[in-house]
Amino acid sequence: MAQGATDVTPLDYTRYDFKNPETYRLRIAKGLTREVVEQISDFKKEPDWMREYRLRAYDHFVQRPMPDWGPSLAEIDFDSYTYYANPLLEGETKRSWDDLPADIKNTFDKLGIPKAEREFFGGVGAQYDSGTVYHKIREDLTAKGILFTDTDSAVKEYPDIVRKYFGKIVPYNDNKFSALNSAVWSGGSFVYVPPGVDAGIPLQAYFRINARNVGQFERTLIIGDKGSKVHYIEGCLPAGEEVLVGDRLTPIEGIETGQSVLNSDGQETTVEKTMVRPFDGELIDITPVSVGNAFQLTPEHPVLCVRRSRVTTSLRPNRALSDIDPAKLLSTPPEFVPAGELQPGDFIHYPINRTERDDPTLGEDELTVLGYYLSEGCVQMINGCEAVTFTFHIDETEYVDELSRSIRAITGKTPWTNRQPAKHAVVVGVYSKPLYALCLEHGGKYADQKRLSKSVMDLPPEKQRVLLETYYNGDGNVYERFGTVHRALTVSRQLAFQLQELQARQGIFATINVREPFQETMEDGRQVSHKRAYTVYYQVGKRAEAVRRAGDAFLVPVRKVSRTPYHGNVYNFHVAGQNNTYLVKGFSVHNCTAPIYSTDSLHAAVVEVVAEPYSKVRYTTVQNWSKNVYNLVTKRAVAYENALVEWVDGNMGSKITMKYPSVYLRGRGARADILSVAFASQGQIIDSGAKAVHSAPDTSSKIIAKSIAIRGGQTSYRGLLHVAPGATGVKAAVRCDALLPDELGRSDTYPYNEIHEEDATITHEAVVGKIGEEQIFYLMSRGLNESDAIHLILMGFLAEFAKELPVDYALELNRLIQLEMTGAVG
Amino acid sequence: MTTSTPEHTLEVKGLHAEVAGKEILKGVSLTLKSGELSALMGPNGSGKSTLAYALMGHPKYKVTAGTVTLDGKDLLKLSVDHRARAGLFLGFQYPQEVSGLSLSKFLWTAYMQRHTAENADANGFDADLKRNLGYLGMDDALLKRSLNEGFSGGEKKRVEVLQMATLKPLFAILDEPDSGLDIDAVRSVGETVAKLHRPDAGILLITHYQRILKYVKPDKVFVMVDGAIALSGGRELAEQLEAKGYDWVRLGIAEAA
Repeated sequence: MAQGATDVTPLDYTRYDFKNPETYRLRIAKGLTREVVEQISDFKKEPDWMREYRLRAYDHFVQRPMPDWGPSLAEIDFDSYTYYANPLLEGETKRSWDDLPADIKNTFDKLGIPKAEREFFGGVGAQYDSGTVYHKIREDLTAKGILFTDTDSAVKEYPDIVRKYFGKIVPYNDNKFSALNSAVWSGGSFVYVPPGVDAGIPLQAYFRINARNVGQFERTLIIGDKGSKVHYIEGCLPAGEEVLVGDRLTPIEGIETGQSVLNSDGQETTVEKTMVRPFDGELIDITPVSVGNAFQLTPEHPVLCVRRSRVTTSLRPNRALSDIDPAKLLSTPPEFVPAGELQPGDFIHYPINRTERDDPTLGEDELTVLGYYLSEGCVQMINGCEAVTFTFHIDETEYVDELSRSIRAITGKTPWTNRQPAKHAVVVGVYSKPLYALCLEHGGKYADQKRLSKSVMDLPPEKQRVLLETYYNGDGNVYERFGTVHRALTVSRQLAFQLQELQARQGIFATINVREPFQETMEDGRQVSHKRAYTVYYQVGKRAEAVRRAGDAFLVPVRKVSRTPYHGNVYNFHVAGQNNTYLVKGFSVHNCTAPIYSTDSLHAAVVEVVAEPYSKVRYTTVQNWSKNVYNLVTKRAVAYENALVEWVDGNMGSKITMKYPSVYLRGRGARADILSVAFASQGQIIDSGAKAVHSAPDTSSKIIAKSIAIRGGQTSYRGLLHVAPGATGVKAAVRCDALLPDELGRSDTYPYNEIHEEDATITHEAVVGKIGEEQIFYLMSRGLNESDAIHLILMGFLAEFAKELPVDYALELNRLIQLEMTGAVG
Repeated sequence: MTTSTPEHTLEVKGLHAEVAGKEILKGVSLTLKSGELSALMGPNGSGKSTLAYALMGHPKYKVTAGTVTLDGKDLLKLSVDHRARAGLFLGFQYPQEVSGLSLSKFLWTAYMQRHTAENADANGFDADLKRNLGYLGMDDALLKRSLNEGFSGGEKKRVEVLQMATLKPLFAILDEPDSGLDIDAVRSVGETVAKLHRPDAGILLITHYQRILKYVKPDKVFVMVDGAIALSGGRELAEQLEAKGYDWVRLGIAEAA
């Protein structure tokens, strides 16, 4: 039973049992009643017709039975969901990302949405649970008369258009879930493109279910008026964290079994098992005093630390850094504390990498050259010959001499120097294959991708010191401010972390700060863009902001602990040996396996599309919900004379999906093109398909359904092809391809044809394929390992879909499939 | 600049292999050296393709005895992909199709298995590809199509040769690159194989017929009968076979026995 509706903030947190109450300005207690529906309508201050519509839909929902076909929905307990939770007030939708609450803005930033908006889209909407938090359209599109807003605003701002179409394409009584949506809908996009206008650039909406047990019920209405053209995209992309694997940082989801990583003793250990699970809740952001090392963990993930409360002097506990009793700090053994319980001021554990492997081929001269190469050097082909060049400030003759000596010692050649007084620069260069190879192997290429090789990272610290010294000569500067500060600036993120690790081996904790990219106007008016850069700095004779050395580790105070709502996969792995730890951005964490949440969420959207004569509307969906979401969506379009409707519908996520995008072809010559893709892995059922209803002559439809079922996942194609009496000259083609890469997945096809005109041309093909041993052998014989071979075959199978996607989504698809494959092989 | 060509050796000694419990190879021994172009001939069912699959490491072909080494390195211990990366290549008699994987992406992916982002040479790769397509008389348009899907028999065989040319293996085994081709196509494939043959690589061309050898001009000829090398010799051996037929070899074995 629902406990009734709440009022506007502030809320009584204890009463509503949720963990991040400040996240929601408006929220209704869980459960569904007539009062809940009325409360939603009240929040929205809707016109009466909408309120009545909701209530009619609610009544229908209550008496409508669950579908008696398809996957079982018996586990859905409608009273266990929250039907409305909005982080903003109604009508507060923002037009600027900066106006959003920081945690929400952060979430969308991490998912790359504002960046994608700048690069690819003409307008973007973002919905967070029930609230449309952001909606914006480019001014030039507004000038063309295109309307793009959240549906709630549209009800108020464009009542005539909304009333004309709302619920006319998908009536509330179409099915149980369209009734549910019609009763409790909130958010979604409204798009109207006027006659003859081509939007030219896609519009995108991003949907995110944040809290557990919250339902999302957005309502989308798209109208392409006569002769117009528009592409609308909806979807989501999740994000990851990086771990230290010895010589470089790797996103944690890219870690593979057998790979070597560092543990809290600074020793290498092997990954025995990798894990991935859906996570729906808040991640803990931990920012140490070295801001560049900030990382994210799930709240229960244990972090190795010394609690501040245990090492303060008894007189003035918990006040300032000077209250720390240094003897206590150094004598207190670190303990594991769940990330969610960390407090600012606690000391987290940064171990010093103790791996040492000398490489006699890397002598003092090689390391001197490498140090300068990292800061000033460049490998390139000049006149077809391998060359290495270094650019110094014209006054840095001392460095030029030192470098030249080392180059001569290695190559036997005297480097050329080219003075460029106009640029205040001097360029030192040498043609040398071995030197080129040395720099490439141990230093990397391109300023933002420079990194040190594993051999260099493992050298004895005294050798590494040579490299650090010359590196700081090049990229660094030394200045006096309460002591001597050594600072280096690099645009390579990898290198910044490596320098920090090397400094640690010298007994110095260097701090990493991040300088965000910016634009600068030079004196001559030129615009110069600066990339994101990392400063690595330390002060001689002074400990960086109370960082303490404790044996083979540094204890680094936490500056800030914050929380970010997260909905998506989280990753973890298990390492060999007794130590049971690994390093996240340099800091020790336990390799625990956290409990998997069994609670689920409900997404029941309704999408209505109207394609007036001669218009073209394309709707692309990339659905990657976490694996605890019931995704029960009704999508339907009406196409009038010579209009074209395209559905590109990809379903990779969710626990159960039931979705059959449809086109009702109501005008002569109207066309439908539907590409439906399903990828189901362990614990997933994706029941998808398409409907083409031909009720006018000379209409045509093409349906391609592709599905992959792997590791026990199930996919079904369910399709309807209907040709009404009088609809002569219809052409329809259906192709269903299913791929079962292992013996565990399952795929079924349920095509229904109702053909009432004899002259209809109907083709139907259905193929179920396996990935053959011969196919894998063939690809492996070209040097691909088994999982890469299978991955290529799967991506090939989905190529028709991938090529329809914006590049970020295509990459995400690729990554997702790779991840599933890794799981399958390990 | 170095002028000497590195010398590589692929050595097969006393190789026994079975398929589904049936022994097909009964002690095959042969040595391939870089710079040499060898032909392996023999009647149907003599075990030529089995040898090719067993060397490449097909899971259904089980080696029961013998050794295979590449420059002394034990190939039999390696998985299929590692054998490929060690420098072995098999041109298939019946290449597999992969829908949605374009030939160009496949070639690049395979090329990248032997290179890193830093030493890969995309321009050189493109230039090689263009030249080799020219040699094989193939259209660029093929690169955009799905790997082997809907390719004619001749196109498939040429694409195998194209892969060999792209990947530059140390040793390539070409399993009947001439089967099912008309005489013009045999000539084109044969001439290209001869032209692409590098001094630092060895080729073993498996064929049932002598006709392709006219264009390939092998340095050595091995004749396989009943799972073992029955005869070996120079190019003239192929001509003798053409004139006298495989029965002559069988007879020879019988007489020797």
